[in-house]
Amino acid sequence: MIAQDQFVAARRAEWEELERLLGKGKRLHALPPSEISRAAALYRALCADLMRARAARYAHELTTYLDGLASRAHNALYVAPPPRWDVALALFTRDFPRTLRRRARLLLVAALLFLAPGLFGFVGALRSAEFAARVLPEATLVELDKAYAKGFDEGRDAGSDGAMFGFYVWNNVGIAFRCFATGILFGLGSVFFLLYNGLVIGTVLGAVMRAGHGRNILTFIVGHAPFELTAIVIAGAAGLQLGLALIDTGGRTRLGSLRAQAREIGVLVAGAAAMLAVAAVVEGFWSPSSVPAPIKWAVAAGNALAVALYLGGAGRAREPRS
Amino acid sequence: VRFGLPVAGPGRRAAAWMIDAAIRAAIAGVVILCAVIGGLATKGATQGIVLLILFVLEWGYYLFCETLFAGSSPGKRALGLRVIKEGGFPITLLDSFLRNLLRAADFLPFGFALGVIAMTIDGRCRRLGDLVAGTLVVVEERARVGQPLAFHFSPEELETLPRRPPVSADELEAIELFLRRTGTLSLAREAELAQMLAPRLAARMGLPDDKSARLLALIYARVRGTGAVAKP
Repeated sequence: MIAQDQFVAARRAEWEELERLLGKGKRLHALPPSEISRAAALYRALCADLMRARAARYAHELTTYLDGLASRAHNALYVAPPPRWDVALALFTRDFPRTLRRRARLLLVAALLFLAPGLFGFVGALRSAEFAARVLPEATLVELDKAYAKGFDEGRDAGSDGAMFGFYVWNNVGIAFRCFATGILFGLGSVFFLLYNGLVIGTVLGAVMRAGHGRNILTFIVGHAPFELTAIVIAGAAGLQLGLALIDTGGRTRLGSLRAQAREIGVLVAGAAAMLAVAAVVEGFWSPSSVPAPIKWAVAAGNALAVALYLGGAGRAREPRS
Repeated sequence: VRFGLPVAGPGRRAAAWMIDAAIRAAIAGVVILCAVIGGLATKGATQGIVLLILFVLEWGYYLFCETLFAGSSPGKRALGLRVIKEGGFPITLLDSFLRNLLRAADFLPFGFALGVIAMTIDGRCRRLGDLVAGTLVVVEERARVGQPLAFHFSPEELETLPRRPPVSADELEAIELFLRRTGTLSLAREAELAQMLAPRLAARMGLPDDKSARLLALIYARVRGTGAVAKP
């Protein structure tokens, strides 16, 4: 065994060289090839040094230094492969609908949690004005009445279309993400958000129809509803899956169960987010346009069909049988 | 090779979060300012763009940074933190997506309370988002190798010790930490600290215990093999 200071003196130059290579600011793979392979060689030598220093029980300070340098070199050398576009595309064209079909039962539960209070709010608000006043604040009701009294025969000016598009992305996608994330509380957060959003949306619809603007609001929402409502339910279902993974672990530890389903859950949320982005475009620019109502209805039917075909059929070819 | 990756505690992560929050607030401030100054003509569309940017800042900032800068946002980088996969691998896009969406849950009911509780319970300081995505936040240490300790002992003096002094590795480490601090200690304190260990070692080797600090240095030099050659 050689003395620590001799060891340091002999090896120090290489450590410092490696440190220089790592500290160049650029990412390692942007360096010339000779320097990359030099860094890799230095890293391997460093690993040997680290083992040796540990085995010889050299000073703690020295092993800490080598440890830190080794982990930095490791992180610089082993970077994640850059994101691939075909993989990202396959996530939407194949993985997302497939995962959703595998989790159809959960989707059904989420849909019920959303639709039941929606129906309750709708019927309640339709039958009594008092009901709506209890669910929604007064100011909101006045706003709603103003917004849908006129209809969209004249369209909206392009500027406010843009503003509303931004608002829909910010607000709706945010709601969906929160609806998902709070599912980690054993699913309770998602249950709450599904019930709450269902109730509010149902009540708004009922209240506006009670005020006699039913045609206006329905014509407005049918265009984007297939994307938006479905996506909120899917985000809720992903949240429920998150919570369920903690409860019904299938023989794994809770953490293991969560980990095993993490990819599926991530795919579901990414898909829901993409659908909400589409919904925001439709809601911002198409729904409030001056296009005659019958055409909007036809397009809405087309949208609903497209969503159903996409979720029900995409990725079925060569689907692994389970 | 096994190398340790020290996980980052809540304090350090909170500091990193604050830097990132300040950066996001600054970006948002600049965007809003630009919108107010330049956007009067196309008022509505500008609002839309501002809201879109705010959305991206809220939900996409970390995803973007962690993917682009191999697991560390500017705030994390400033504090030497990095997100990695549990096995030490780099994180993927989906990992980052999951762990940063769950920020919304970690934040509940306010100020990341739930996240801090999770970090306290978990042995590796993972918040809920880390648990789901299977990631860790580690500190990339940039320690320095100190100058070798220099001693000036004559060979005769070293010979008074056994060739292999009966000292455990822990004791040796304690001695080294002590020796590296001697320059910064007052003489009385130095003697006091040395007294804690030196008499025991002296008794073990049957040596007189009069100059404790010097004895410790001598033992250290003997074990490490430095100072074996006396300075002229």
